[in-house]
Amino acid sequence: MPRALRRSLPHAALLGYLLVVLFPFLFVLFSSVKKDNNSIALNPFGIPKEFVFNNYVEAWVNAKISTYFFNSLYISVFASVVSIMLAGMFAFAVTRMRHGRWNILLYSFVLVGMLIPNNALMLPIYTIVRKLHILNTHWALIVPYIANAIPFTVIILAAFMRSLPSEIEEAAVMDGLKAPGIFAKIIVPLTVPAMVTVFIVNFLGNWNEFLLANYFLSNDELRTLPVGMVQFRDQYQMNYAQMSAGIVYSVLPVVIIYAILQEKIIEGVTAGSVKG
Amino acid sequence: MNKALRNPLVFILFVLPALALFLIFFIYPIFSSIYYSLTSWNGVSDTVKMTGLKNYEKALGDDRFWISVKNNGWFILFSVFIQVPLIVLFSLLIANVKKLKGLYKTAVFMPSIMSTAVIGILWGFIYEPNIGLFNKLLGLVGIEPVYWLSDERFAMLSILITNAWQWTGFYIVMVLAAILSIPGELDEAAAIDGATGFQRATRITLPLIVPIISVVIMLSIAGAMKAADIVIVMTKGGPAGSTEVMATYMIKYAITNFKYGYGNTIAVLIFVFTLIVTVVYQLLFNRRSERIEY
Repeated sequence: MPRALRRSLPHAALLGYLLVVLFPFLFVLFSSVKKDNNSIALNPFGIPKEFVFNNYVEAWVNAKISTYFFNSLYISVFASVVSIMLAGMFAFAVTRMRHGRWNILLYSFVLVGMLIPNNALMLPIYTIVRKLHILNTHWALIVPYIANAIPFTVIILAAFMRSLPSEIEEAAVMDGLKAPGIFAKIIVPLTVPAMVTVFIVNFLGNWNEFLLANYFLSNDELRTLPVGMVQFRDQYQMNYAQMSAGIVYSVLPVVIIYAILQEKIIEGVTAGSVKG
Repeated sequence: MNKALRNPLVFILFVLPALALFLIFFIYPIFSSIYYSLTSWNGVSDTVKMTGLKNYEKALGDDRFWISVKNNGWFILFSVFIQVPLIVLFSLLIANVKKLKGLYKTAVFMPSIMSTAVIGILWGFIYEPNIGLFNKLLGLVGIEPVYWLSDERFAMLSILITNAWQWTGFYIVMVLAAILSIPGELDEAAAIDGATGFQRATRITLPLIVPIISVVIMLSIAGAMKAADIVIVMTKGGPAGSTEVMATYMIKYAITNFKYGYGNTIAVLIFVFTLIVTVVYQLLFNRRSERIEY
């Protein structure tokens, strides 16, 4: 085989795969600026001759994207931050405080959570949420999301905190700090890099979560983006141009964040894959 | 001097919130599921009637349940025999190219950070019989429109392709990281001994990434056993229940039809099946899983 061909063969295969990955996005992007189904059917692959941006206006209004978007945003951020706080406290106690056997016992106990297929727990969680009288409120998602992220968050934060040298607290104790002070003033600032990683993983998980969001909320104003999008599709199924605009709205924020933070996201999500 | 870090009250206060949530949302549900799986409770009434193993008999005797088990099986088989070879091939290719490595990695990973629900919608459009991308492409070579999601012969396959499209890149990046962490000297030594690129890939790299491939398979199995949202969004289990998976079967009974007890029976069975598949896999293929030291 000539050298040039051998060199370019892998690139040909990879560019083919790239096309398979990216073309669906382009297909939706192009469709979103076409006039209607008919103009998609006549020119399915290419850039439209005239751009119709009205779909974006219509989709924003009809799909209530802004409502769903901000619901998703605040639920995901809030739940991720709280799980990091609670898991951080837990991780601090079991890695940095001196309670020997209890440290190991509690840590291993929470580790078991990683082995549980969490979809199968959906029904009892539904009952718990109903008994707490928070069904059909945002708390019905926030509380389970916080809980669900705890095992993974504890593992990552505990691993990180363990790697900090113990001289740090010794100096702090000398300066008269108590355990809560050591946690808040010394350990948390040092753990920020690991916290950013778990925040991204938890945030993406919550942002994309569908099952609980679909079945635990019935009020339209409360819906999150994935559920709102599915409902929008069911209502406007015949208008693919407008639906494409809706898809662009829901995909775009993630793509932008990904473009900026890709290294951190790839690192975090693949570390999170232990979660299975 | 360690008194500050031995204060039991502070320890309890720090551990308790996370521990309480863990107990309520992970441990209690397991026991609750097992208990209610033995009842005919509808999920709301005050009386709970114990029915013993009747629900289990019903589930194991229900053809529709076995269809859903079979479909979970398809998810596993598709990932192991179609996705995994592609994952290995493409990660080897990316590892060995000199240019555009970063671009390939970033691009192939992208679908895996998106919402499965939105991807389901997007692919629903691609599979659309009249104006969807697939049929338009097939139309170019003169193939008649295929009703991808409403034809029993193609619906499950369509879902599997979408699922593979979303997750293959994720695993490629995992395997790629493993390949890139192999010390370069191994490859160089083989090259000096006259091994071709293909030989180095199959004789040096491949054996060294077997452990990570095993992790990929484990993760695929775990993912396959809990697949649900992609099915709900794309086909709602149809046509005629042909794409139902265990989790959607469970939801259908428990939430839509108020058979809460029976739904929990399915939840317990999902647990048991996941456990069986994992253990069987570990026993058959993963005996030699000692860590590789360089």
